[in-house]
Amino acid sequence: MNRPGIRRLFHLGLGRKDVVARETDEEIAAHLALRAEQLERQGMSPEAARAEARRRFGALDAARRDLRRAAQRRGDRVALRNWFDGWRQDVRHAWRSVITEPGFTAVVVIVIALGVGANAAMFAILDRLLLKGPEHVREPRRLTRLSYAATVPGLGRFSDNTFGYVTYTIMRDGARGFSGVAAYSETDAILGEGEHAEPIRVGHATADFFPLLDVGPALGRFFDASEDRPGAARRVVVLGNGIWRRRFGGDAAVVGRTVPIDGASYTVIGVAPEGFTGVELRRVDAWLPMSLREVTAGWPTAWDAQWLKVVARLAPGLTAADASAEATRAFRAAYTGDEEPMKQAAIVANPLWYDDAGNESVEVAVSRWLIGVSLVVLLVACANVANLLLARALRRRREVGVRLALGISRGRLARLLLAESLMLAALGGAAALLMVPLAARLVRHTLLPSVEWTGPPVDPRVLAVAIGLTVFTGLVAGLVPALQAGSRNLIGALRAGVHADGVRTSRLRAALAVAQAAFSVLLLVGAGLFVRSLRQARAVDLGVEPERVLVVDGNWATAGPSTTPDEQERRRVRAASFYDAALAHARRMPEVERAAIAVGTPFHSSFQVRLRVPGRDSIPRLPGGGPKIQAVSPGYFATVGLALLSGRVFDAGDHEGSEPVTVVNATMAATLWPDGDAIGHCVQIGRDEDPPCARVVGIVEDAHRFRLRERPAMQYYVPLGQERRLGFGGSALLVRPYGDPEALVQPLRSALMTDDPGLLWLDIETLESALDPQLRPWRLGATLIGTFGLLALVIAAVGLYSLIAYMVTSRTHELGVRLALGARRLDVVRVVVRSGLTLVTAGLVIGVVLAATLVTRVQHLLFDVSPHDPAVYLTAVGVLIAAAAVACIAPARRATRVDPMVALRAD
Amino acid sequence: MADAVPLLKGTLDILVLKALSQTPMHGLEITTWLAERSGGELSFDESGVYQALYRMEAKDLIKAEWGVSEHNRKARYYQITARGKRHLASETRTLVRHGQLVAAILTAAPK
Repeated sequence: MNRPGIRRLFHLGLGRKDVVARETDEEIAAHLALRAEQLERQGMSPEAARAEARRRFGALDAARRDLRRAAQRRGDRVALRNWFDGWRQDVRHAWRSVITEPGFTAVVVIVIALGVGANAAMFAILDRLLLKGPEHVREPRRLTRLSYAATVPGLGRFSDNTFGYVTYTIMRDGARGFSGVAAYSETDAILGEGEHAEPIRVGHATADFFPLLDVGPALGRFFDASEDRPGAARRVVVLGNGIWRRRFGGDAAVVGRTVPIDGASYTVIGVAPEGFTGVELRRVDAWLPMSLREVTAGWPTAWDAQWLKVVARLAPGLTAADASAEATRAFRAAYTGDEEPMKQAAIVANPLWYDDAGNESVEVAVSRWLIGVSLVVLLVACANVANLLLARALRRRREVGVRLALGISRGRLARLLLAESLMLAALGGAAALLMVPLAARLVRHTLLPSVEWTGPPVDPRVLAVAIGLTVFTGLVAGLVPALQAGSRNLIGALRAGVHADGVRTSRLRAALAVAQAAFSVLLLVGAGLFVRSLRQARAVDLGVEPERVLVVDGNWATAGPSTTPDEQERRRVRAASFYDAALAHARRMPEVERAAIAVGTPFHSSFQVRLRVPGRDSIPRLPGGGPKIQAVSPGYFATVGLALLSGRVFDAGDHEGSEPVTVVNATMAATLWPDGDAIGHCVQIGRDEDPPCARVVGIVEDAHRFRLRERPAMQYYVPLGQERRLGFGGSALLVRPYGDPEALVQPLRSALMTDDPGLLWLDIETLESALDPQLRPWRLGATLIGTFGLLALVIAAVGLYSLIAYMVTSRTHELGVRLALGARRLDVVRVVVRSGLTLVTAGLVIGVVLAATLVTRVQHLLFDVSPHDPAVYLTAVGVLIAAAAVACIAPARRATRVDPMVALRAD
Repeated sequence: MADAVPLLKGTLDILVLKALSQTPMHGLEITTWLAERSGGELSFDESGVYQALYRMEAKDLIKAEWGVSEHNRKARYYQITARGKRHLASETRTLVRHGQLVAAILTAAPK
């Protein structure tokens, strides 16, 4: 077979040097000869005539050289012009065919728009998460986030990225693998007072944070080392750009004013540039000096106070591994704490997008896969458009035949087809750009809400990617028919007439349809696995019912650290009296079913104190950790929905001064008293020499402490108030409304704020919202892979439909014969549907095999679902077969309406 | 031809174009046409005609193809394009006006 080379499609055919020179010489020679003949006719001798002809021409050698050069220039220009003219004609022709077949055009444009749009939207997401890094950060890929890895007995290898200030100073002063080191921590705070109060997100940063990132302020300045000195920090604030515009009207005069944050007064010294979020992607409303944080007494050198993250820029020429080794050396040399595992801990410099445990965050991992998934959608779209173009090429065989008869070269014909597909792709790409903002907004707000998105969804980078993908689609989809057009087979077929549909062509089209079906199955299986994961994750029995319960957390002015016992006691009493009042108030509200106070809230905080059991030398260690303790008011168990298994829960008779009692969870009861007689036994809680005996009065279900996936742990509960002797505290009010918890958030806040005029703000959210980020990867996967899978399915179904419809048209004759020979209409339907399903079945088999091999690589992203879950595969197969059947029905019906007489007479 | 007038720079192009606006010709025919029209008074190297032809072909003012001359010789025939016709019209207007102005100034009687 003779394929016109792809190169030839773009061949400029510039005048070749030797050819041009030869032609120039010929032209000169012809001129001289003609002139000499002319002169001879006027009576000159042949020699004299030749000499005169040369004289008149000018200095021959110089003239020849000049003319050759001019001819070369001319040749290049003309060739270039012809090439452009050719394309111009092709484009004009392509445009004509685009507008004369609006239905066909619409289908192709939509298919391309979906393919390109899905990819551009995904790129926009991944670009922000992974490629571009946080806004305003210079060379984000040279910036690393430090974490430590230590081997803890009983826990194994443990990794975390929360450090104390002391580690920051060690890294800053001692680790030579870094050209700069800074620390930051992000917390919630309250900006303003009274009715103007609002919760904001605050970043505490060391003064070297901003130079490290190389970010400049939009207004004013960032704070410097003199304002961030431990023990002598100044109350200054750099406002985030967003809150500055929203709350301060973008007024430049805000610099120098003071604003209340958490009840203390701060001087505004600057405004951060738009979109600046530090090294994370969450919004930050205000930047404060780290030294104001004062988490505990002695924080600048304490080893046991850990609250900040350390970022470091790799020194020029060093790899992250080099810098990590150097940092580890510096850390071990300087560590003076008393935790054995930390003495041997390693410091690791990870990319910015790694999570707390020093792994790539799940969002990024899922997004990576999603890019792959959206590329599959694009491939399906390409295969589909190629198929549609092939079908049309066959439909237009007469036009093509005429062109070939008129002598158009095969290369030129191929170029014409390519121009058409590129034009269709361009239209599709334009449509995709209209779609991207919608898709990107959907993903941004529903699936990655915590990321601060600034700037339009279609920035120059996304635009460039979209254009690239569009050209790719146009070329890939157009090349198949273009190469086909050049093949002698097709041309022979075209010359032969309608029925000699090239066998190759129909085989190629079938292969494209099979590929589409296969990719669709792959995506449907992927989507199914994520949907199942999400369902499984949602269906986990957490013991408590987080979606039914609101957590209310008070915020008071907290000027200065609570390091003195007096201050601590003052704060405790203030909080205790508020929560008592709020509990009574909430219970009076008609919307509230139950309410309770708890010290230690599921998914928020947990405590552990020393526990002894008379008659046992030690408490067994369980893989889930613990034993964990909570102090709860009567009604807590009913409020959070934790079931009592036996005995009793606390009642009004259990309080600070009453007999010490405890309720244990099922795991604790079974672990400590395997005989099943836990109730009535005694545990000793606390650090004292011989703590009083707390009698076990009830057994409740296990409840999850923090995560969706948790191993069993011992948990026990003491009556609220009895925790004071044990040295832990920090209450929260839990409210269980009758109706939708979200609807009660605002009314509850307004009502309870009246219970303490000193309150700055009440944080109220469902227990579930603390759990929500853990569900996000599966939601992201289920929603997006599901959407992409459906897209691929629709595209593949359209492709199958067009193929079958075409087949029916080209087999009209045969079907007519069958009907004439007495075939029933049902037989005809069967013939048509069978040919469709044969293709799909081939695709199914390939797709299932492909999926079964590929999904093992996403196994770690699934939640309690086998990558070979039969239900998922069966569903995917069923959905595809159903879609294929639908795609076959219309052509099959048309086939039954074939009039045998017409069919036989035609052609 | 001792008193032949040398051609002003750039005017050869427009004269060649004028020649081709009548009918397609090859190089020698153009030379002959120019000599006849000027009564033999214009002096130029005949290779200059080809320079002009190549230049104008590059600018898409004329196009060329190989043909056979009346004496059965292979020759490159040149033909004016639509763009060439427009160019000729506008250049002619400019040159004529220019010539008139120059002539008027140079020949005006001193006051």
